[in-house]
Amino acid sequence: MVIVKRKELTLAERLYIPEVLRGLRITLGKMFQPKSTRQYPEEPIPSTEVTRGQPRLAENEDGTLRCVSCGMCEIACPAYAITIDGHEIDRPIEREPERFEIDFLRCILCGFCEEACPKEAIWMSDELELADTTRKGLIYGIEKLKRPASALQKRIDYVKRINDRWRTFSST
Amino acid sequence: MKITVNGREVEVDPSKPLIAACHDNEVDVPNYCYHPGLTPVGSCRICQVEVQEGERPPRVVAACRTPVSEGMIVDTNSEAAHETRRECLEFLLKDHPLDCPICDKAGECTLQDYTYAEGQSSGQSSEPRQNFEKRKSLGDKIVLDQERCILCSRCVRFFEEVTEKPQLTVAGLGSRSRIETFGDRDLTGNYQGNITDLCPVGALTLKNFRFKARVWNLVKKGSTCGECSRGCSVSVEVLRQGEVKRIRPRYNEQVNRWWICDTGRFSSDRANPEGRVPALLRGYSGLEACEVEDALDSVTSAYRAHDGHLLVVSPWVTVEEGEALLELAASLKTEPIFLSPTPSELKDDLLHTGDPCPNRRGLMDLGFIPKSPEEVRELLSTAETATLFGERIVELIGPEPLDELPTSLRLFLFDVSGIDAPAIAVHCGIASWVERGGTWVNIDGHVGRIQATRPAPAGVRQPLSLIEGLLAAQEAVQ
Ligand code: SF4
Ligand code: SF4
Ligand code: SF4
Ligand code: FES
Repeated sequence: MVIVKRKELTLAERLYIPEVLRGLRITLGKMFQPKSTRQYPEEPIPSTEVTRGQPRLAENEDGTLRCVSCGMCEIACPAYAITIDGHEIDRPIEREPERFEIDFLRCILCGFCEEACPKEAIWMSDELELADTTRKGLIYGIEKLKRPASALQKRIDYVKRINDRWRTFSST
Repeated sequence: MKITVNGREVEVDPSKPLIAACHDNEVDVPNYCYHPGLTPVGSCRICQVEVQEGERPPRVVAACRTPVSEGMIVDTNSEAAHETRRECLEFLLKDHPLDCPICDKAGECTLQDYTYAEGQSSGQSSEPRQNFEKRKSLGDKIVLDQERCILCSRCVRFFEEVTEKPQLTVAGLGSRSRIETFGDRDLTGNYQGNITDLCPVGALTLKNFRFKARVWNLVKKGSTCGECSRGCSVSVEVLRQGEVKRIRPRYNEQVNRWWICDTGRFSSDRANPEGRVPALLRGYSGLEACEVEDALDSVTSAYRAHDGHLLVVSPWVTVEEGEALLELAASLKTEPIFLSPTPSELKDDLLHTGDPCPNRRGLMDLGFIPKSPEEVRELLSTAETATLFGERIVELIGPEPLDELPTSLRLFLFDVSGIDAPAIAVHCGIASWVERGGTWVNIDGHVGRIQATRPAPAGVRQPLSLIEGLLAAQEAVQ
């Protein structure tokens, strides 16, 4: 057992008023100093190239998904957040997801899916906000996940640069 | 005969090639064209191992075309063997698309496995790849991707040697060789599906499974096929505890060896019926959902109120369920009858017996009496209550005759899915053959086990527990 001894208050402290005035001085002083807080969400957080937000699916220029539903991210995901069902399509690349769901209640934004993808189809976007009134609404399907590749370009360039660096390191 | 494999002395069967001797002793030797069920042709050359016989210097040979000899010393991992295998892979990968992310074989593809094992993930050649047809339909069941084919000729030999009706051939010469059907005809026969299991790569795929699931997501359990009285050993493969996505053969020396027929294989499509219900009871507005207990109560009170009971069980009930049903028949003072439908025209010389009764032998041995659907209909028209028990019984009697039965008959149906015939007073859903365990005895007396690969839908009970419920109520009365 630990006995905490209460500090004896000095006379000035017991008089109350001087202490209140001291507190007010700090408050008033801070009022005229530059702000260090942000008016979120009106003032959004700027993203940098290393921002690792929620995963999104990249689209090609013609609006088709890059994803071929190979299931690599599904199996890499440590949170079991991804569910994919594929189907056959008529394009030269014969397969596409029919259902691609990420359960954002499970996703821990680890980025393993991005790393696992052999088709450069899933990227960690700079989108971080997540809110809904139902649990179902937080399971995103293809429509909510797809983004033109250009919207993800900053991240794509960054990851490629880092990967290249690792490749040069490991080969020397 | 004794040989030494990787420093270990092992006893081998002299009638089998060296590769089989290695496999029997759990030493992996890569192979594409070799399959234990087909004649070895030695065309892919991936199975090379280093062998030393007597005083002769060691040499690298194709294990699938080399007979074993006394005192042979085999090294499957020598540098020379790996070097030769790598060279073979180089040739196999020259025109191979390596589109594994799209390919259905990924995860169970031996080309993938051995390429990784040899430490290179793609071919080194900078020549442009040759293009072939990527989506060639071979009839209503199978698609051929000629680009992925490594020309092992297993599929060709399957039709030549197993069904003995050649349908495929290697067409073209040299690097333009490819697999084709004779005269571009569609494949026929009830054993086509086997070539998709045989194909070591993703060149032959099933239309009904194509791109539907990644193989590592499938939960696989050993079971027995119920489509005929052969009872082939199969593996039932289920995706996310829900749909059965495919059914594949499981090696069984005595019954089906490596093969199954397409009727059994494509029964996967029938293993996922819609509209499963725990129990339905006839009310004023037709069949209404109710608690299973209430349904059983209604059945047993009808047993008490009426005479002239009839109990007909489906040939799909297991031996265990059959034993319990015998007791029920005894307590109802009625003959135990099982429905024995007329053999279908699917009978052939290979596996299919044409008889759609997976447990005929088991039920006969228990003392059930076989009756044809006509005889059963006859009996139904004179009974006061009739209990139809077991999977597929509606289908095997025929939905129309059941529909025509008079409402004076109280019909109790225990089947996976039912119909809305006016005579049906109670319908209890039961777990299907992919949701319950048990034993079937095949036509030659081999015991086949079925295993639950997925849970039954919520509330749907195991047949055995329903029979026990009925028996308990019967005993309480007596
Ligand atoms: S970021 Fe991580 S947790 Fe989220 S979906 Fe991707 S792999 Fe799963
Ligand atoms: S056949 Fe095998 S190696 Fe070829 S694409 Fe398919 S999985 Fe990959
Ligand atoms: S289609 Fe498959 S089984 Fe037939 S030769 Fe090609 S790789 Fe072999
Ligand atoms: S497995 Fe021996 S040559 Fe193909």
